[in-house]
Amino acid sequence: MTNLDLDRPDPDVPRERDVPSPRTAPAVQDVPLLHIVDGKEIIPGNNSWSARLGRFLAEPFTSAWRNRDLIAAILRRELRERFSGSVAGWVWAIFAPLLMLVTYTLVFNGAVKLPNNAEASSPIDYALFVFGGLIAFNFFAEMAYRAPSLLHEYAHYLKQTMFPAHMLPVISTLRATTYASIGLVLMLLCQLVFSGSLHWTVLLLPLWYIPFLAFLLGLTWLLSAMGAFTRDTAYLMMTLTPVLMFATPVFFSHEQLGPDMMRLMYLNILTGFIEIIRDLVVFGRVPNLLVVAWTLFLSVFMFWFGYWFFRRQQDSITDVI
Amino acid sequence: MSSERDVVIRAQHLAKAYKLYDSPKDWVKQVLFGSQEKPYYKSFWALKDVSFEVIRGKSLGIIGRNGCGKSTLLQIVCGMTRPTKGEIWVRGRVAPVLALGATFDLEATGRENVLIAGAVLGLKRAEIVGKFASIADFAGIGEFMEQPIKLYSIGMRMRLAFAICAHIDAEILIVDEALAVGDLAFQKKCVDWIDRFRRNGTLLFVSHSTTELARLCESALWIDNGRVRESGDVTDVIRAYRRATRLEKDSMSRFSAT
Repeated sequence: MTNLDLDRPDPDVPRERDVPSPRTAPAVQDVPLLHIVDGKEIIPGNNSWSARLGRFLAEPFTSAWRNRDLIAAILRRELRERFSGSVAGWVWAIFAPLLMLVTYTLVFNGAVKLPNNAEASSPIDYALFVFGGLIAFNFFAEMAYRAPSLLHEYAHYLKQTMFPAHMLPVISTLRATTYASIGLVLMLLCQLVFSGSLHWTVLLLPLWYIPFLAFLLGLTWLLSAMGAFTRDTAYLMMTLTPVLMFATPVFFSHEQLGPDMMRLMYLNILTGFIEIIRDLVVFGRVPNLLVVAWTLFLSVFMFWFGYWFFRRQQDSITDVI
Repeated sequence: MSSERDVVIRAQHLAKAYKLYDSPKDWVKQVLFGSQEKPYYKSFWALKDVSFEVIRGKSLGIIGRNGCGKSTLLQIVCGMTRPTKGEIWVRGRVAPVLALGATFDLEATGRENVLIAGAVLGLKRAEIVGKFASIADFAGIGEFMEQPIKLYSIGMRMRLAFAICAHIDAEILIVDEALAVGDLAFQKKCVDWIDRFRRNGTLLFVSHSTTELARLCESALWIDNGRVRESGDVTDVIRAYRRATRLEKDSMSRFSAT
């Protein structure tokens, strides 16, 4: 049964909406409902300014929760492919960071002064100092390299199904998290083996990890949306990331630099993250709260900015890919 | 006219513009300082003005020539893309049997794709796992279920995709002109299934085969150049469509952007 009229003006000409608001059918909660008017999704309920803001802030989380089965299904498949596609599987994922850690230990063995002039309390401290920086930087670099081409990689999902595209960056960040976590666990194990104990501050590591993930996720949202439209994003990141490594205190400490330079270094959010993980794991002290607050602010901002940007472009993204 | 609560799909003055950028530079400009009034892109209106309603349990056929906006319309109903103007209102779970198999991850096995596709269509993991045997049985591709999709023939992909769509307990089934790929036996199986589905479900059916359309649908919508040209009883629409096709030449001017 159809009902239509042909003598409508062109849609190009803006006109007042004459479409009646949805005459509310009995609200059946479990029935999915799609309702879009003029390119905007209509969500039943409160539409005040504060309610909309609240909904926006909660959206990344509610959306991820709603799609948890999908995220798990794709993640499971990707990890399976990553680890069963090769003969040795998991061994590679553990062997690479382990080799790096062993190399640093051998090379820097016996260094009594750490780059930030602190006294080394065990022979492995120097290696851990560098390794902590590398975990953070490598995680960042993986996302920075991969994000711009992320949506092209998954184009087959985006093309035809009702795929929640904004969950792809979540999946890809979670996948990278497995590798970073392996590095982190190795780092803690090495410290335990070599110095016989761990600092109590490692219990605070989740408080480091969660903002770091939020930052990377925001970054991935931003870069993947940009990368969907222009390949330049990928080239830009390929050029910037190696340079950024030198502007990040991975092999040195920003504390050696002059006070002005040191403050400048904090503009790079990775500086804060690296300082915090070193404080927690290597030195066993509570990080400078000002640094924590600044880093937290940057990550929270990046998270919602990236999400906002992605959602704004999402409809065009599915059209261009 | 049935009561309001029986409407499952309502589209009013739907229009969809695709943004065409001459170069990536224009996209950057648009993001930085573009506006709706003075855009850096050209708009291609794939759909201009389409309105229709579908009542629960009815089936609507959609015909039209290539590029008339059929696929765009279906994508809007599925929620894959948003209309630029107009209102779309869809209630119920949609099973899109669109361009079957195009959505699969070629490197993943059939089993993995079933799990992913099921999750995309809104099923819980336990539900999909529970239905897996039945899906495999419907698809009838045997051992290939454990092989990567890239080794499948087009027909096998189509079988698997239809099997998935047939198992998600959808209220609305959207079938594109995909059935033609299957062999006769499978086509019959699908059509039988669709017949059974139609008893309580709503069907949107797109096909160039007017006989199939007449068999499966009660009413039809003829879309021409992004607008509804004719609608109503399926036989009337098909008759008008056939007559027009004989008269009109195949001109490609309709693909041009404004």
